[in-house]
Amino acid sequence: MLPYLKLAFRNIFRFKRRTFITFLATSVGLSLLIVTISLMNGIDKDSISNIINCQTSHIKIFAQGYHDKLDDYPLDPAIEQPEKRYSTLLEIPGVKAVESRILFGATLINGVDELPCLGVAVETDRDPDLFKIKESILEGDWLEPADSQILLGVDLARDLRVKVGDRLTLRLITSTDKKNFSWNAVDVEIKGIFESGDPNVDRGRIFIPMAAAREELGMTGRATEIVVRLNGYGEKRIEEVQQQIVQSLNGDSGMFQAYSWKQLASGFLAVSKMKTKNSGIVIFVMLLIASVGIVNTMLMTVMERTREIGMLAAMGLKRREILRLFVYEGGMIGLIGSLLGCILGGLFSWYLQVKGFSLTAWGETMQRMSEAVYPVKGVFYADLSFGVLIMVFLFGTAIALLGSYLPARRAARMDPIRALRHI
Amino acid sequence: MPLIQFKDVSKTYHTGKVDFPALDQVSFTVESGEFLSIAGPSGSGKTTILNIVGCLDQPTAGAFHFSDRNIAEQTSNQLADIRRHHIGFVFQTFNLIPVLSAFENVEFPLLMKGDLSPQERKRLAGKMLAEVGLADFQTRRPAEMSGGQQQRVAIARALVKQPKLVLADEPTANLDSQTGQEILELMKAMNQKTGTTFLFSTHDRMVMDRADRLILLKDGRIADDEKRR
Repeated sequence: MLPYLKLAFRNIFRFKRRTFITFLATSVGLSLLIVTISLMNGIDKDSISNIINCQTSHIKIFAQGYHDKLDDYPLDPAIEQPEKRYSTLLEIPGVKAVESRILFGATLINGVDELPCLGVAVETDRDPDLFKIKESILEGDWLEPADSQILLGVDLARDLRVKVGDRLTLRLITSTDKKNFSWNAVDVEIKGIFESGDPNVDRGRIFIPMAAAREELGMTGRATEIVVRLNGYGEKRIEEVQQQIVQSLNGDSGMFQAYSWKQLASGFLAVSKMKTKNSGIVIFVMLLIASVGIVNTMLMTVMERTREIGMLAAMGLKRREILRLFVYEGGMIGLIGSLLGCILGGLFSWYLQVKGFSLTAWGETMQRMSEAVYPVKGVFYADLSFGVLIMVFLFGTAIALLGSYLPARRAARMDPIRALRHI
Repeated sequence: MPLIQFKDVSKTYHTGKVDFPALDQVSFTVESGEFLSIAGPSGSGKTTILNIVGCLDQPTAGAFHFSDRNIAEQTSNQLADIRRHHIGFVFQTFNLIPVLSAFENVEFPLLMKGDLSPQERKRLAGKMLAEVGLADFQTRRPAEMSGGQQQRVAIARALVKQPKLVLADEPTANLDSQTGQEILELMKAMNQKTGTTFLFSTHDRMVMDRADRLILLKDGRIADDEKRR
């Protein structure tokens, strides 16, 4: 095996320019593949992180029947006395924190414009253990339990042209029933402006202390959801805790329903799945380009070295040994090309992991379109993993081996006499 | 027992709808240690005989035995093994492996045989290069050597595995007469020293004159078979 490897290695540097071009095609193709996968993984990771840390946490508990009307953000059916459930929930292994919230439809009026938003009533002392809104405050302060002020996202503040300390009219929808649609209005002061990184939250949500919201919404002692944060468990554990929650809270009553973040973010996950499917086509095309380069190089190599193949056969090399020699050669081109591709792609992905890929240069429309799909703002960060590098390296080498098989078989099947006569 | 036994060997090539008879009932034997030249005009069947003797081709009719083995009964892998272990080739155009040095080219057949230790392999390759007068050219690649030097390397490569037979197809055709003479002297010396059988195809008068036995071919038949020494 060693002499064939040695010979194959020497042969790949025989025509340096062609080898360089093949390496270039392979390594550029594979490095783009690594960057694409890393970027998609990074976007998915950041999106999921934003969904969990800004919108859903790990598990949400609703009163029976609420989830079916979730898109309307109704106030009923609500959870009565949600605080009484905390001790039961916190006893479940893995549960780190719980909080009651009220989600309600609202609009904000700055005196000129009225913009729709989603109101989120939070328990100000518990919320920071579940969500990252407090740590995302750019200006002003986090809410106190007795406050009647609000927090709003940086994009919503910009759209309304308001700053900390300004006053707005908050219109709270108290009933989403089409026949009995009702609302309440209250003047509120902006206590803080945050930037969570989740465009849906930064552009469309306001946060208000639970007590103030209950009073304005007529929800005393009630909440639309209880949110549960776990101690960083995996998907399987989340499902187990979800079942335990339902069992612990319900007994035989069936009053509560629990949903994991995956169930709540099913829309995004469907888009992500479709994106993975589509990117599979892109990946296939990239690999095809790389493999066509290698097949072409190997075919040219076999044609140019016809007489040498005849000589090798005359010296006693068997067909399988000639085949092996050329497959090794193609494999080595793939191996070195893949290695270069991994280095290039790894470096570029690392750069994108640190610096990110900003959409600002692509214009606001592009930015808005991307935000409509991914809950990530402005800058996409790559997530480079060693597993991706290994996978692409092995895949690139395997494709090269496969791609060189046909030319190698052609070499192995040559009639040595004709090959020796070849000019 | 003869090393090569040709008995009524015929070979016909089919090109399109035309049959071209290259050999017509050729019979001869070659004993071990002979220094034999096959001569004749172009198309007389010299290369066809070399191809059959080199186990690269099979007769259309008749029988060819190499070292008492009926070649028609061998599989392609067995034929490759015969070539690998028992037959060395010297080509008109040298056909060295361009990416290997002179030393590595000579070592290559030993690597293919695979039955020697690296030390023994290197010793034999170095010794063989020294015997063809290229001890100082070990690291040179073919492109860095003259035609004569390349043919010496090719001879060393053919002989290093101690084959029973060396086949040389027009070995001097691409060399000037002085170098050709030197190459012939070298092969003769090797024949005498190692007892290896040498079989040439040629239409070079100098090669014919230097051979111990000359088989003349005409139109695929033996016109003359002359032992000179």
